[in-house]
Parts: sequence; structure tokens; C-alpha cells
Amino acid sequence: MTTAQELRDKKQTYFDDVEVGHQFPPLVIGPLTATHLFRWSAAIENWHRIHYDQSFAIYHEGLPNILGQGSWKQSILPRYLKDLCLPDGWPWKVTFQHRAMIVPGDTLTVWATVTKKYEEEGMGFLDLDVGIRHYAETCPGRATIVLPIRNGKPIPYPFVPPKKLVSQ
Amino acid sequence: MSQATPQGASALTPEVKAVIGAQAEKIEASLPWGIEREGLRIFTQAIMDPDPRYWDDDFAKKTKFGAIITPPIYCTYLGRRTRPGGEDPVTRAFQENPESDGIVGVRTPDTRGGLPDIPTPLVRTLNAGNEIELRQYPKLGDRIFSQARYADIKERVGKDGSRMLIVTTETVYTNQNDEVLCILRASSIKR
Repeated sequence: MTTAQELRDKKQTYFDDVEVGHQFPPLVIGPLTATHLFRWSAAIENWHRIHYDQSFAIYHEGLPNILGQGSWKQSILPRYLKDLCLPDGWPWKVTFQHRAMIVPGDTLTVWATVTKKYEEEGMGFLDLDVGIRHYAETCPGRATIVLPIRNGKPIPYPFVPPKKLVSQ
Repeated sequence: MSQATPQGASALTPEVKAVIGAQAEKIEASLPWGIEREGLRIFTQAIMDPDPRYWDDDFAKKTKFGAIITPPIYCTYLGRRTRPGGEDPVTRAFQENPESDGIVGVRTPDTRGGLPDIPTPLVRTLNAGNEIELRQYPKLGDRIFSQARYADIKERVGKDGSRMLIVTTETVYTNQNDEVLCILRASSIKR
């Protein structure tokens, strides 16, 4: 897990610092409990019983246990990318699919590997393979983050994607 | 094998093509008081993100964002919240069906912001993946608006010859100044 102090003190990773194949430090979360799942359901007012009512999940729905929410996973990926980019980069976009189920007891590793790097309008773009892994990839995907180039121009905020990249 | 379309008949009919680009009304996703601190605390703790940019005003002012911000896709969950003052949807759902799964009948029957149904006999829907594009983080006090549209509908033929539709819905989230915060593109398979 990442602490508040680590996020407060986070040093910028520059575009110049990473190459294709670079693996960013993973974020490890867990083991997840039923309470974690219930907390998320309550936070977003998702009352689907498969996420917090174990007897309903098993005996009514035929599931192995209550299930972790896809919406939680899809919030974790942007959160991780945000952390990678802090303080001055930008987690521009992420695409992913929901695959294997997550259940209480699972420990998840959120990861990202650089697959391509390129410059556009003075900013450094990194394409990434990303995912959330337990015994399998539960949320494989791709992302593009923007990091400042050392001694280059700041990343604009609000972020305005280069026109050349918008239609891709 | 799909049972819903005649063998060999395209599922991408002129009627289906006609809804590509159809746009829903723009609605306010946030509650009338906008983004507030307590809801933000509950959400950030549920994703286990202790970032001081979400709660430490002094620190947040010194960041490039200049103020407290929310997590990247926080605004996409605001529309799920039950608006106060109406009938309790949970009580109603379980009175109607004690075996409710917690979804059917629980959602407030709020049809604002909905897209038209796709005129197809393909009724099974599967999630085919999502894309999230970020432009700006919402701030405390921001009012959030959303507007959905059918960005694209394509046809795919399965190995068994069955026809299916790949539907991409794009929802744009904006603030009270009409600035784009985030764009959610959700793809689903109808078969």
C-alpha cells in the first residue's frame, strides 16, 4: 500500500527516466475481505447482493463466494496511474476488460509495463500494458500516460490531448 | 447460435444504424450541493487511496491543481446516488420482491439521461470493456453533468455464424463551466 506521506513526497518520474520494457513499481492491495467489498458497495450505493450477502451469492446465484465489484477494479487502475504520474504528469487514458472474478482472501497486484514511448507537442507519452493480477489477470488493459520531459514544458492542466493523438 | 436473428441476416439493420450518434439529454449527475468533502472521504477510503490531495487543503493549494481534487473517475459514480425526499427504493424493492437481488427494483426509476433502446431482437448483453479518458479532476463544490450517446455500433459474426452487435456508448462528464472532466466509453456485446 501507498501512504499519504509517500504521495505527498512523490518525486516526479520523467519521460527521460523510462524505456520500453520498464516495469513501474506495483501497487499491492489485500488480502481483500468481505468488509472491503461491503465498504465499496456502500460508497457507491451499489446494493447488488452478490457483493455482500454470502448466502445469496452462493445458494441463490451459484457463485463460489461474494464477488469483488468490477466498478472497484476500474477505479483502482486510474488511481494507480495517477500515482505513477504525480506530481506533474497526467494519466490520460486507460482501456480494460473485466475477466476473472475476485473474492475475499485475494491479494491483488496492480502493475504497468511500458510498451512504447514517443514525444508529441513537447510532452512525453508512454503507452503501457496494465492489469490487476491475483492468480490470473482480472482486469487486463492498456493505458497512455503523459510525463514531463526533463527541462521541457509543463504538462498543461486541464489536460489537452494533442490533436494528432485524439483520433487514435 | 443466436436464436434472435434469421440465419445469415445482418443484425446491423438500417433501424440499428439509425441510432448511431443518438444522444441523450444532458443531466446533472451530482446532487444539488455538488461535490462535498464527506462523500469524497468515503469514496477515497473505499479505494484505499490516502492521497492528501483529497483532504489536506494547505497541501492541495500548493499542487498544480490548486485545490482539493477527487479521484480520477469519481464523477462517474455520482449519478448512482439516491436523491433525497423520494420513496426509499430499497424498501420498495424488497416489499415488491423479498427475493430481490438488490438491483432489480432498487434503482430509482429515474429515466433522465437515458439513451433510446436499440431496435434489435438481440437481448443478451455482455460487458466488452471500457475506456476512461481523463482531462481534469473535479473539485469540491463542482456540479457534475453527464451526457451519453451511442458512439458506434458494429456487427461481428461469431465462429458459429451467429450475428452480434458491438455497442459503444460514450458518456461525457462536464462541470458547471462546461469543461470536460472525463469521458467514459463502455462497449457491450448484444447477442
